Amino acid sequence: MQGSVLVLGLGNPLRGDDGVGPRIVEELERRELPEDVTAMDVGTAGLDLLHLLEGCDRAIVVDAADVGLKPGQFVRFTPDEARLAQNSDGLSFHQVGLSGVLSLANALEHALPEIVIFGVQPTEIDWKEGLSPAVEATIPKLIEVLIEEIEAQL
Amino acid sequence: MSEVNVNINVHHVTRVEGHGDIVVDVKNGEIKKCQFEVVEAPRFFEAFVRGRPYYELSHITSRICGICSVGHATASLRATENALGVELSEQTVLLRKLIFHGEIIDSHVLHTYYLVAPDLLGVNSVIPLIETHRPVVERALRIKKLSGDLCAMIGGRHTHPCAMAVGGFTHLPTEAELREMKGRLEAAREDMVATIALFATLPWPEFERETEYVSLKKDEEYAFIDGTITSTDGFSYPIDEYRKVTNEWCVPFSTAKWTKHNRESYMVGALARFNNNFDQLHPKAKEAAAKLGMKPICTNTFLNTAAQAVEMVHSVEDSIEIIDQLLTRGIKSEKPPEVNLNGGGEGVGSCDVPRGILFHNYVYDENGICTQANCIIPTNQNWANVNADMKAYLPQILDKPEDEIRLHLEMLVRAYDPCISCSTHLLNVTFV
Repeated sequence: MQGSVLVLGLGNPLRGDDGVGPRIVEELERRELPEDVTAMDVGTAGLDLLHLLEGCDRAIVVDAADVGLKPGQFVRFTPDEARLAQNSDGLSFHQVGLSGVLSLANALEHALPEIVIFGVQPTEIDWKEGLSPAVEATIPKLIEVLIEEIEAQL
Repeated sequence: MSEVNVNINVHHVTRVEGHGDIVVDVKNGEIKKCQFEVVEAPRFFEAFVRGRPYYELSHITSRICGICSVGHATASLRATENALGVELSEQTVLLRKLIFHGEIIDSHVLHTYYLVAPDLLGVNSVIPLIETHRPVVERALRIKKLSGDLCAMIGGRHTHPCAMAVGGFTHLPTEAELREMKGRLEAAREDMVATIALFATLPWPEFERETEYVSLKKDEEYAFIDGTITSTDGFSYPIDEYRKVTNEWCVPFSTAKWTKHNRESYMVGALARFNNNFDQLHPKAKEAAAKLGMKPICTNTFLNTAAQAVEMVHSVEDSIEIIDQLLTRGIKSEKPPEVNLNGGGEGVGSCDVPRGILFHNYVYDENGICTQANCIIPTNQNWANVNADMKAYLPQILDKPEDEIRLHLEMLVRAYDPCISCSTHLLNVTFV
């Protein structure tokens, strides 16, 4: 496989475990990433995600997600494997971000790259800085798995 | 005696940035209750910034809102710069104006096209518009990409302007990037013409209620950054005296603080700016306003969205002019100046961000550590006015079916482009 890989960290570091995406990007940026791999902290980007995704060949998304696991556990999935919850109107730009963008791209029949999502179960999402101990403890393992994923995609 | 009974409880109005509930109770034609209840609000601000050094504050506060990150960063930087006596170069001032225009376009295209246009075209989201109005959706995406790229060119990154620093920028756009961006902005004029043509045909609800409109004002330009606080009731204050305008108070059914000035409520946002600063709009934006049938003082709240469309035209044109100035001057490789703490101090920064006038206020000690902070966001300043509008609008639409009343009240709230909880987002996943 070849082409560019974009690792997108979604979330707000001011909202507790919601900050896991940006935190992972920070960790990745401290390492030497292979050429053609970019890690990007996109915060709570909404529609910008569409343009970022359209500009890469493969994307890995890291986000806090209610995936029905214990706090700190994470799961790898593709958009096809999951139904991402949306508001009833199908496209609010508040909570959705990724799911809204995927459904919009789908409805527009815009081609998107292959996307792999790592959803990390949060302990809490509230106005505070810093990750909970459970999510903090999972960071080394998540980085390890992400590096493997990046290498597999190159 | 009317026998109208209406009971509406809209939990979490959709297509607003956050959570808020509309509650209406009408018995025998008498309005018992009609209010917008805010169930979530950022009351955390001071806790995040107290104890932090001056150079971190804009980066922290730009995370408050994923849509207004440039606006919060700019207001934050202006507060710090005013507190510590930091002067800005002409280039920094121009680049800040340029990235601010990027955010105005970015936020307004989202609200006008994705959040309001579906209402006026009779569908419940942008997705069904793809079937019926595909070029409209594609156009919105083009504009969004342009404004996102404009912000990233100067801010150094999409959604978070990490290059914006106290006194200047840590990263500068190249002249080649500026020239390319100018070409794209010129090409976007066609999309602006089409935008105004579209919004001129949409059926805006008729509703007039005069209120006080509050915004920044400058003599020399349409004010987005700095200036004086101005109201259509004839008041004017330096930004340091913002508390004379905001007068925060609490209401039992809202966790957000409300504000009032000369009347029971005031309105901030694009319509307030339009009403106070029409003379400083770019001539093409004035033409756009004429096509939309708008002139100051416009008192139809629904036309706040139309005023946003007018501002998009202004921001595209002014961005082109700013880039011309930057290219004529040539980009100088300036670094942010050394900050002399001078024993610390207090400063207020104000910007008129997409949703209206925003205030950041910090106190720094002699080591440049923040000891006190206050932030008043535009949406909080609008709550009282939202409720006053709802109480005035409801009797005019009481003869409509309940679903339609609900829709119209939601549209009224959405017209303010409210941002309630400011940027929480958790992905909820169900595996199939």
